[in-house]
Formats: sequence, structure tokens, C-alpha cells
Amino acid sequence: MMKKIILFHALLSVVLLLGACSGKREISDLALVMAVGLDKGEKEGTVKVTAQVARPADARGQTGAPSGQSGEPVWTVETEGSSIFEAIRQMSSMSSRRVFWAHNFIIVINEEVAKEGIGDVIDFFTRNPELRMRTWVTVTPEKANEVISTVTSLEVIPGEALAKLFRYTTISNQAPRTVIMDLLSAYLSESTEPLLARVAFETSKIDNKAPDKGAQTKQVVLAGAGIFKGDKLVGTLKPEELRGLVLFREKLDSGVAVVSCPDDPNTPLSVELTNQSFNVKPKYKDGDISYDASFKAHIRVVEAGCSLDLSNKKHVKKLEDNVEKELTSQIKTTVDKIQKDYGADVLELGKVFQNEYPYEWKHYANSWDEVFPTVKINLKVSAKVESGSLLYKPTTSGKKEKKEE
Amino acid sequence: MKVQITNGMFMALIINMLYAKSIGLTQGIMAREVGGDIWISTIFSSIQGIVIMAIVIFAIKRLPNGDMIDQYGQILGKWIGKGVAALVFLFFLGAYGTIMATFVYHLKDYFLPEAHTILFIVAAFLIGSYAIHFGIEVIARMALIGVFSVMALNILLLAGSISEFDIKELQPTFDSGFFSTLWASRHHDADWAMATMMACMILPLVRDSATWIRSSTSGLIFSGVIIVMWPILEVGVLSPEVAAQYIVSCMQMARSAEIGLFLHRYEMIMIAFFALSILTQIMMTFLCSSIAVQKIIGLKDYRPVIIPVGLVLSAFSYWMIGSHHRAMGIIEKEWVLVSLSIAIGLPGMLFVLGAIFKKKLKKKEEAKTV
Repeated sequence: MMKKIILFHALLSVVLLLGACSGKREISDLALVMAVGLDKGEKEGTVKVTAQVARPADARGQTGAPSGQSGEPVWTVETEGSSIFEAIRQMSSMSSRRVFWAHNFIIVINEEVAKEGIGDVIDFFTRNPELRMRTWVTVTPEKANEVISTVTSLEVIPGEALAKLFRYTTISNQAPRTVIMDLLSAYLSESTEPLLARVAFETSKIDNKAPDKGAQTKQVVLAGAGIFKGDKLVGTLKPEELRGLVLFREKLDSGVAVVSCPDDPNTPLSVELTNQSFNVKPKYKDGDISYDASFKAHIRVVEAGCSLDLSNKKHVKKLEDNVEKELTSQIKTTVDKIQKDYGADVLELGKVFQNEYPYEWKHYANSWDEVFPTVKINLKVSAKVESGSLLYKPTTSGKKEKKEE
Repeated sequence: MKVQITNGMFMALIINMLYAKSIGLTQGIMAREVGGDIWISTIFSSIQGIVIMAIVIFAIKRLPNGDMIDQYGQILGKWIGKGVAALVFLFFLGAYGTIMATFVYHLKDYFLPEAHTILFIVAAFLIGSYAIHFGIEVIARMALIGVFSVMALNILLLAGSISEFDIKELQPTFDSGFFSTLWASRHHDADWAMATMMACMILPLVRDSATWIRSSTSGLIFSGVIIVMWPILEVGVLSPEVAAQYIVSCMQMARSAEIGLFLHRYEMIMIAFFALSILTQIMMTFLCSSIAVQKIIGLKDYRPVIIPVGLVLSAFSYWMIGSHHRAMGIIEKEWVLVSLSIAIGLPGMLFVLGAIFKKKLKKKEEAKTV
């Protein structure tokens, strides 16, 4: 009897423990995708999928010192199909390992593909259980296969470098931080339209061996945002136009503004905006929808080409006015462009209105497309000088001062 | 001597019995009906659950040595008792289908897509049968560990999602209307029904009958709090539209969670914590179904029926979850109707009958004590 009990327990343990081996995937059998690019295929109606796969043995060393002896930290492959899935399945015919998406950093979509609609892209990547919901998604005017293959910045794997471009965007404001979860959420939303970050090439890398030739190598840079209506790309915004947009959607750590010096309109003065807060309050009166938006920030002077004395109240007031005017103009220009040129509510104003006036919203839910371009936004900007960073006195030439004396 | 469990264990069983399906499938179902109001529906449902549990406890307390089937037998006769046992079995058969849908759709769809469904059914059958062979105390002790694991899961999820949480998403409240929000709570009520029906079967095994109300109410409030965190986060992080899009909306939360820059994709850790709750549900459903069948047949012990009952439950769940659409259709419609009819009807009727036949029950109770 005892033997039978032991045998039963042993069998039970084996069955339960080995059950987990069903569908197992050995790490050495996996091709870990780091970035995906989507372009239009050569044939009409097809899509070209480019996957960048890491070669762990070569990727682990420093650049130029690969330990896998191939010299290539990534293996990039492209396939074409009438659907994304078909193209991806074709990869298995040329990959010696199983293509595995769980570690994918970024999805780059060519703007030509985006203009025709990315409904299938959203559907495919949000159905896939392997893909993480915080995978970055961007559009690009370049060929997506080139973008994901270009070695950018300091990272060995281009996909990782592209993902890391987003790490400090809360400071640089060069592109919105868009992940697949936000894209899906905006796509499914009644009012909000999708917005994606945009990346492009910029010749900015100087070759160490030929520094005299200046920047010659292309690098991928954050280059604004792509605005969608439904699943179609309808327009783009440049990085300098983004402040007016990103404020409505994200929490920004800081920002930069270049204004003119208080007593010298021709000399630029750079300020950093800290402690930024932005609030939008909807108003509804006699069937008219409007919004009161207020932006508050602290000013920290970071670069002054002129003699700026922060103990001089007139200077301070003038500087604050200049910053407020500059910010108001930036925000208004972007909002106008989004409302009038694209008519796509990427500012999430519909959602804000719905939250505050849920019953009134029901009247506008179906016609928000027509209402959104007409709503009025009353903007109030307030910027207060906080400090001149480390300096107490303005940086001016001592000789000049002596001369004046 | 009859095996008994402590009131703390009873609380732990309630929490585990509720947790897995409530956060797994129910929130997505409710989001499809009332969008961002799912967290309010969940609160409504928690209050309703507390009321039903109170009715169950007051009804069972009249004859604290017998479960609901015994009490029906005592009041209305043996055959009615058997009829009630059949209804109880029917309830737990359906409950097992919904639990297995939660179990399989979490593990198979997100972690082991190539594993065959039968593997999960067999694993659940083996674990369930093995556990209940050793009785309720073993399950209850595991449920105590399960409480810590669900708390760990909640903390991990909170830590990984709070940075993306936008409280404004919780507005507007009652967007779908007060009555629609209240009506949507029926889906979560079907989860509560599993806990209250379990209480109908195991309350006589809980040691201190004087504090049944206190421990069950504490268990229900605690469950309500840890469950309501999920719809709040789903609305505030994912948006109601995304939560509604998926069969297992909680897994979208889990695979979106990130702690800092370096700790992401830790859903495998979270699912391990989740497993104890779902395993407790499987075991308790096995136990309650086996007790019901034992009482239909009139056996002294439930152990001889474990295997046949397990096979019936497994066969039903295999059929049900074979198609995602069939399973979700049953869970959203038929199951709500069947489960709430049984889980409210039987204890409610017992409560009324107990009041009418108070003297009869008192005599029987005295006779038993003598």
C-alpha cells in the first residue's frame, strides 16, 4: 500500500511539473526581435515587414569588440506579404530561430503606410500576447526598414537606441511619448484621435577619422508627431510645434523657451521652464462649448547673451512678459493648426468635455468631428522668474564695466 | 471528530473564492456594458454580496450543525433536500466552467498558447481531486497563503501602473446611468454568488458560529477593497474602451505594468500569485460539488464521489471553454441568470422557511445537542 501511495505521489508530481514543458521555448531557440519596421511592399496591396533581431553573443560586447565573431550585433530581415501576419510567417522560412516578439522595443511605421490606415497594425500588435503594451510606436517619412537598421547614438542595438530616444522626451519635448496602449486607447475612443511620435534622419554624426568633413553620417532623431484621424495619418507637426500639443496630453518635467533680452530685442535669452502645470476646464453655455486653459511655469534663466539683472524688477517683469507672449503664441499656433488644418481631436478636448458634461456630451458624441474645429480655447499663460540658476550677478565683461566707470 | 476551520480561514476562503474571476473576466464584461462605471458597479455588487452573505449566515445559524441542504431536508423533507442538493451541484458545475475559463484563458492565451486545453483540465482535475481528498482544512490553509499572494499581486500591479494612472479617467460617474450601472453589477454578483454558496455548504465547519457574521463581513469588505482596485486602475490606466476590448482585461494591465526602467514584463511573477486564488476556487468547487452529490446519493462521506464528480466537472468545462465565444456567451448571459437564481433563491427561501419553521428547527437542534 505504501509503495502505491509513493508511486501515486511521484506520478502526480511528474505530471504536474512536466505539464509546464508543454509549449516550452528554449532561449537559445529564439530570435529576439528588437525593432519592427512597416513599409509598403513592392507589389500593390502588400506590406513589407522588417524585423531587427539581436545576436546576443555580439550584442553583449562593446561596439567594435564583438564576442560572437560576426561583427554584427543585429540581424535584420525583411519579408513581404498581403498582411502583416503573412509577412511575419515568411520570416520563419529564413530564420534559424523562432521569431519572438516579447522584447520588441519599437514599431516604426512608414508614413505612406500610415496614410492608408493602420487599423490592421493596431489590431495585429494588440492581439499578440507576446508584445508588451508599452512598446513604442512611431511614424517616419523615411523607409522604416532603414530607420530601424541605422545605428544611432551610443547603443549597440539600433532598436534599443530608438527606444531610448524617448527616455528624456519629457525634457526635450521633441516628440510625444506614444506606446501601443495609448494608440489603441485613442483609436477606440469616441472623441480622441491617435497621435504618434515621428522619427526621421538627420545628418549629425561626425566621423572620428575624418572630423574635418563635419557631420556626414545619418542618425535617427525625434522629429515631431503624426496626427491621425481614425486610423489614417492626416498630418504632421514639427518638434517646435509640439509644446502646444503635448501640454494637453502629457505631464512635462520641463521645457525650453528662447526669447529676446528685456533691454535688447536682438539678443536671445534662453530660459528653462520648470514646475509646469496645465489645466483645461470646459465651459458650456447656451449650446456653446469653450475651454479655459491655464499654463503656469517657473522660469529659470539658463543662458543670457545680454546683461540681465534679476534684481531689477523692470527686467524681470519684461522677461516674464516675453516668455508669456512666446508661450501663448506657440500654443495658439499649434492648437489653431490642429483645429483648422487637421480637425482631429488629438488634444483630448472631447474627453475633457465628456468628463465634465456627460449628459451634454451625448448630443455632441456623433458630431464631435464638426464641433471640434469650432470650439474656442481661452488661454492664460503665467510664467514667474524663479532664479538665474547658479549666478547671482549678470555675466558681463569686467573691462567693460571699468571702461564705463 | 468533525474537521473544523477557523474563522480566519473562512475569511481567506471567501477572498480567494471571489478574487480570480472577478479581476479576470468580470471587469471586461462589465466594461462592455457600462464603460468607465465598472468600478461603481463593483462597489454596488460588493454591498449586495454583503447583504446576501448576511442572509446566508442568519439562515444557517438557525441550525448551525447542518449546511443548507441538510436544513432544507430538515424543514421540507428528504426529497426536497435532495432536489436542493441537485441545484447546488448544478450551481457548482456552472461555477467550475467559469472558473476554468478564467484559469485557461489566463494561462493558455498569455503564457502557453501552444499547450492543449486538455492539459489545463487534467491539471485542475488532479489538483482539485488530490486537495479535497485531504479535506477542507488543507484548502483553507492554502487559502490563507492565497490572501498574502493576492495582496502581493495587488501591490505589484499598483507599483507598476500608478505612474500611468489618470484620475480624470474615472469621470464622469454614472455616465451610463444609475440603473444601468446597478444592473451591470449582476455580473460581479455572480462572482459573489460563488462565495455565498460556498458559505452555505461550509459554514457548519467554521468553528465559532458566534462570530460568523463578523468574519464573513470582514472577508467580504476586504475582498471588495482588493477587487475594486482593479477596475479603478483599468479605467485610469487602460481606459474603459481598452478594458472592454479584451476577454481577460486584467492581463492587459499586467503586461503593461513596469516598475522603473528595468523591471517590466513581470506578469509571470504576478500570475504565480494569482494561481493560488484560482486553485482555491477549483478545489472549493470540487469540494462543494462532491458534497452535493454525496447528499443526493445519501453517502456518509464525499470521498467516493470525488473522481466521478471531477470527471463531470472537467468534461463540462472542456466543452464550455473549447470556444472563447461560447464560454463568454454563457458567462455573460446564462450563467448570471442561473447562478443568481440559485444563489439568491435558495438561501433567501431558506431564510423565510427558517423563520416560519423556527420552532421545528429549534426542536431538532435541541434534540441534536441532547
